[in-house]
Amino acid sequence: MAITTFDKNMSAVAFAEAGEYDTASQILGENTKKQAGKSPAPAVKRKPYLKTVTFGAMSISAYVLLFTNEKLVTEVFTMGGWRWVYPVGAAFFFSFIHGAFASNLLSALGLEAKK
Amino acid sequence: MKKLLIILMFALAPLSLFANSALAAGDGPSKDMLKGIITEVNAAERTIVFQKDDTKELIILAMGEKMQPDDMKMNQKVLINLDKHAAGDNVMKDISIMFIDMSVSKLLALLVIGAVGGLLSGFIGSGGAFVMTPAMMSLGVPGAVAVASNMCHKFPKAMVGAYKRWKYGQADIKLGLVMAVTAVIGVQIGIKIQKYILNQFGGAGSNLYISAVFMVVLVFVGGYVFYDAWKLAKGGGKETVSKLAVAMQKINLPPMMHFKTAKVTISAWITIPVGLLTGMLAATIAVGGFVGVPGMIYVIGASAVVASATELIIAFVMGAWGSVQWGLSGLIDIRLALLLLATSLIGVQLGALGTTYVKDYIIKVVMATTMLIVAVSRGVKIPGYLIDLDLMSPIGEGTIALLEGISFWSLVLALGSAALIIIVAMVKGMTADRRSKSVLAGVNHG
Repeated sequence: MAITTFDKNMSAVAFAEAGEYDTASQILGENTKKQAGKSPAPAVKRKPYLKTVTFGAMSISAYVLLFTNEKLVTEVFTMGGWRWVYPVGAAFFFSFIHGAFASNLLSALGLEAKK
Repeated sequence: MKKLLIILMFALAPLSLFANSALAAGDGPSKDMLKGIITEVNAAERTIVFQKDDTKELIILAMGEKMQPDDMKMNQKVLINLDKHAAGDNVMKDISIMFIDMSVSKLLALLVIGAVGGLLSGFIGSGGAFVMTPAMMSLGVPGAVAVASNMCHKFPKAMVGAYKRWKYGQADIKLGLVMAVTAVIGVQIGIKIQKYILNQFGGAGSNLYISAVFMVVLVFVGGYVFYDAWKLAKGGGKETVSKLAVAMQKINLPPMMHFKTAKVTISAWITIPVGLLTGMLAATIAVGGFVGVPGMIYVIGASAVVASATELIIAFVMGAWGSVQWGLSGLIDIRLALLLLATSLIGVQLGALGTTYVKDYIIKVVMATTMLIVAVSRGVKIPGYLIDLDLMSPIGEGTIALLEGISFWSLVLALGSAALIIIVAMVKGMTADRRSKSVLAGVNHG
C-alpha cells in the first residue's frame, strides 16, 4: 500500500510526540530526500492567458480603429510616393502585435513545438 | 529576434540597387494604368474629366467602345487602364473601383483564405499566393490591387514564420539571404523574358507561356518530389542527401560557402543558378518557392525542413521589397492585407510548429500534392489560350465554363488537401509525442 505524504507526516508527528525526535526527523527527512532526489518534476509551464488577452485586446482595438476609419486610411495609404511607409509600416506593426497574440494563443491552447 | 531583424534589414540594403527596375510579382503597375477620381462625366460626348491621384492634374479621357456612362462612378478612387491599341490617345479600356465594399461574406472569405494560406506557408515555406490573388479578384478587387495587397500580407507572414522556424533551429539565415539576393536578380531576368514574349506574341501568347512554364515546372518538379517522398515513406522515412547534391558539394570552385544550419558546404556557383531560377519563376508564375525549396533540397543538399524554413526568409526579403514598390504606386489596399494577416499569422505559426512533429518526408508530400493539383488548375486553361492564338479550333462555351470551373475548384482542392494532410500529420505527431512522454513519466514514477 502506498504511504501518502499525509500518512508519513502523521507518523512523524506520532514519533515526535512520543519523544522519538530522531525517528521523526528521519521519516520527514526521507520524505524531503525523496523529493529532492526525484528527477526535476516536469515543470508545468504556465499558460500565457494574460499575454494572450493583452495582445488580443491590442490587436482587436487596432483592427477596430482601422476599420472605423476605413475611408481615411485607404485614402491616405494609397497616395503613393513616400507614403509607402504607411502600408508597409502598418503591416509590420500588425505583424508584431497580432503575431504575438497568435503565438500566445497557440501556447494557451497547449499547442507548442516539440522539444 | 533583434539580431534576426538586423540581419534581415542589412539584406534589404543591397536590394535598393534594383530600386529603379521593377520587381517580381512586385513588378509594379504598368504605365498605362491611371489612379484617381472622376470629377465630371459627359454622357453625350462619351468623355470624362479625370483627376490624377499623384499630380492632381485634370485630364479628359474618352470611353472605350464597350463602356457605358453609367459605369463611370464619380467621387471615389478608381483605376483606369488605357487602351494602347485604340485609335486616339487617352481612350479607356476598362475602369474598376479601387476599394471594394467590405461585406461580411467577403470578410469571412478573406479570413478563411488567410488561415489556409498561412498554414501552408508555415509548413512548406510557400503557398497561398497562387490562390490569394485570383480569390481577391473574384471578390471584385482590381488585379493590380490584389497583387499589391497580397504582397503586403506576404512579407509579415513570412517574417513571423521565418522567426518561428529560426527559433526551432530550422531556418538557415545565410542561405536564405544568399538565395534572396540572387533571386532578386533572377526576377529581373524573368521580367525581361516576360516583356519580350508579351511584345512578340501579345496577351494570349504571354498567358500561354506562363501556363506552359507553370505546367512543366509543377508536373516535373512536383512529380519528382512526390516520387522521392513515396520512396522515403516506404523506406521508413530516413532522408538522405540526393546524389546530385552530393556531387555538387564535391565541386570545389571558390568562393566556397558554409551554411551552418543546413549543414552544407557548397560553391557559390551552385547556389547562384538555384537562386536565379527561383527568382525567374517568381516573376513568371508568382510562386518561386515551388522551385526554390526543391532546388535547396535536391541541388544544394539541405533537408526538407531546413529548405522550407529558409524559403520563408527568401519570401520575406522579396515580399518586403515588392511591397515597397507597390506602396510607391499607392496600390495596396491595407484592409485586404490586414484581414488576410488576421488569420494567416495564426496559420503560419501553427504550420511552423507542425513541422517539429512530422517526419521530413511529410513536408515533401504536402508540397508535391499542392504542386500537382495546382498544375491541373493551370493546365485546363491552356485550350482557351490556344484558341485565342488560333492554334486550336474553338470549343463550345459550355466546355470553357466547365474548364474554368475545374480550374477554380482544383485550386480549392489543392489548398484543402494540403491543409488536411498537415493537420492529420500534426495531430498524429502530437498524439505520439504525448504518449511517449507519458510512458516516460510512467517509467520515472515506477
